[in-house]
Amino acid sequence: MMILLGAVLVAAAVVLYVVQPVFSGERASLASLDEEFTEAEARRHLSLVALRDVEYDFATGKVDERDYRRLRDELGREALDALREVQRSRDQAEDAPPAKDAVADDLEREIAAYRAALRSGTLCDRCGSANVAEALFCATCGRQLESERGEEAAAARGR
Amino acid sequence: MILLGEFALWVALPVSIWGIVLAFVGGHRKRGDLVLSAERSVYAVFFLLCLTSLGIILAFLGEHYEYRYVWGYSSRELETYFKVTGLWAGQRGSLVFWVLLLTLFSSIAVFQNRRRNREFMPSVVGVLLTITAFFLGVLLFADVNPFERLPFTPANGQGLNPQLQNYWMTIHPPTLYLGFTSFSVPFAFGIAALVTGKTDSRWLVVTRRWTLLSWFFLTNGIIFGMRWAYEELGWGGYWFWDPVENASLLPWLTATAFLHSVMIQEHRGMLKMWNLSLVSLTFLLTIFATFLTRSGLIESVHSFAQNTRIAYIFLAFLGAATFACLLLILWRKDDLRAERTIESFLSRESAFLMNNLILLGSAFAVLWGTLFPLISEGFAGTKVAVGPAFFNRVNIPIGLVLLALTGIGPVIAWRRATRRNLERNFLPPLLMAAAVVAGLMIAGMRGFYALATFAICGFVLTILATEFWKGTRARARIEGEGLGKAFLHLIARNRRRWGGYIVHVGIVLMFAGFAGASFHTEIDQSVEPGDQIRAASPYGHEYVLTYQGLSSSRTPNMWQWVALMDVSRDGRRLGTITAEQRIYSTADQPIREVGIRSTPLEDVYVILAGVEDFEGALRNESSAQGAVFQVLVRPLVGWIWYGGLVITLGSLIALWPGAGGPARRKVRATPASARLAGV
Repeated sequence: MMILLGAVLVAAAVVLYVVQPVFSGERASLASLDEEFTEAEARRHLSLVALRDVEYDFATGKVDERDYRRLRDELGREALDALREVQRSRDQAEDAPPAKDAVADDLEREIAAYRAALRSGTLCDRCGSANVAEALFCATCGRQLESERGEEAAAARGR
Repeated sequence: MILLGEFALWVALPVSIWGIVLAFVGGHRKRGDLVLSAERSVYAVFFLLCLTSLGIILAFLGEHYEYRYVWGYSSRELETYFKVTGLWAGQRGSLVFWVLLLTLFSSIAVFQNRRRNREFMPSVVGVLLTITAFFLGVLLFADVNPFERLPFTPANGQGLNPQLQNYWMTIHPPTLYLGFTSFSVPFAFGIAALVTGKTDSRWLVVTRRWTLLSWFFLTNGIIFGMRWAYEELGWGGYWFWDPVENASLLPWLTATAFLHSVMIQEHRGMLKMWNLSLVSLTFLLTIFATFLTRSGLIESVHSFAQNTRIAYIFLAFLGAATFACLLLILWRKDDLRAERTIESFLSRESAFLMNNLILLGSAFAVLWGTLFPLISEGFAGTKVAVGPAFFNRVNIPIGLVLLALTGIGPVIAWRRATRRNLERNFLPPLLMAAAVVAGLMIAGMRGFYALATFAICGFVLTILATEFWKGTRARARIEGEGLGKAFLHLIARNRRRWGGYIVHVGIVLMFAGFAGASFHTEIDQSVEPGDQIRAASPYGHEYVLTYQGLSSSRTPNMWQWVALMDVSRDGRRLGTITAEQRIYSTADQPIREVGIRSTPLEDVYVILAGVEDFEGALRNESSAQGAVFQVLVRPLVGWIWYGGLVITLGSLIALWPGAGGPARRKVRATPASARLAGV
């Protein structure tokens, strides 16, 4: 008797729990939410990981300078493309783009700064912010920038 | 409560089928309510399986021998501990355990992604529940219901196979199952990527940690199995190319290939189709491994029982799943084209690709050898088993090339290695390899494979040590840190890379152990108390084992003969070794408990091969003390286990949660500048 009661209770609880959304209309989201990792962000993340690995390979003398530059440009471009796409999808998500040109200009400027930082090696390795060419510390997080990286790499190549 | 467990098993099947239908329909029609209901069925099935497992354990603890499964794997004499592990001791229970773990991992995956990756989730839930429903169907309809009753209630059970009565039994099977079942999650995400057409990078990012986790469990499960075989079963070795060992090695090989090829997709946008194929193949092989153990089609120390119905059901499922995967991949083949091509044979891409091809080649060879008895039966009518000789001949050269790649891969340049790159990175390690060969040959070592193995070990270790040194030095200089601190920070900042290298170090140690163990010496001798066995070590010295005598005892569960040996080396006493034979009341075959004296240099391995007068010895008569021993001296075996520990450490570092890469940030609707600054 007790067993029967237990079985009925378990079955009822399971069925109620599972079926409830169909009747109450409670929904699970099926689209990406605002704060989540989108495809573009995943690409940006991966290109940045790859970028960091390439920088490391260069610093330890595993790739030569020409290949390093090519790879870095390539990966940097990918990261920027991904960034641009992230921006574009945000713009589309917001219905009213009041200052779209302004945002685009803003973005272009940021991208240029990012490129310059990539080239001069002043991209912060802790927070990823782009800094001006002569910066010694990251403007965003205060980390000392790896200005010796060039010397280190040169030393590694010289051996 | 036991009945409730049985009832829960029956309820779980319709609930999971409901979930499958709603997940796919909900995903297709974009109905969030249906998908939510499907996700809840994942949790519900997990809950039901918990009840089922609890029911089985209670049936064991309550000595309910009217259940065929409990009767077959337990007895009144069995320790309580082994009654609990009875859940996975036999075919029926272990299938329940398999589904329990699968639903556990499914629930974790669903919970983890309740607010993320939502467009993948309908397919992920659908795929995971399909696998669950398949196993539930097998449990209920293929003569393997753990709750099947006997027509009468026996007074006692048949008892647990004595070979399973030790602590490895509690560790080895669950660890392997954790590896097998957790791989369903990356597979489900791979399929979801194909279904939704989002095959680019996201599913890789989402599943990376799952894949590593699964690999971690698989690796440990395999090493635990080796250790069990070595110290407990008295077969004198750690790997026998037994079909079920092979079956667990197959998904490990492809999962390892997958872990590496993922990196090529990340860095170079290549091999998308390959990665999806590998993730599918690995999953199929985990199912195949489960199938091989259960079908009894191939003779093995692990197989449960011949059950052809299960064999056909599993084959049908494997066939259908393979077909579905192929169809999906072909359907998306235009999206899966590579963004770039390989530019040079001498590049890291190509080293990774080589690693993949070799791992797959090895997997194919192992699969072929494992299935050969079946194939030969199909064509020639007789089962021809393929012995270890075949597997060794094929896999030793393959293993050596792979070993070399564990060193080449990390340092060869991306895209195209220049001559300077090659010279700078490979000259010192090559010199080291040559020095190792020269040193060993002067010491008198011969044998091509062993020399080659040690040479490659030297080569790879030099490379990896240089890597760690360079990285640490660069970091120490850049950050102004001390070397120790710089070393720790270096690893912490890029855990996947350095954890991976540590795993490579572990692999090298294991290979050194494999190579060393091939030089073992063996002596069989029949002795009376006071007699000495002289076992020569391959290093040149000699162990003298003085036989002290037998001591016997009886418990309700077993008879036991313990032989005591004094060990000395070069006249210096080192201690004692005991080796045992046991005969359990529930089994005819005697069980050997091996005596091992282990040092980093070599193991002395003593097997009590026979007792001359069992009955007399059991009465502890002084005239009945004669015994036969098998003594092996195995160089470097310990390094296999040390290597295993290093691999565990490395994979834990790679797995450790937290960034360890450029921080993954939540992007909020903020001005563009702030967002860019957060890159």
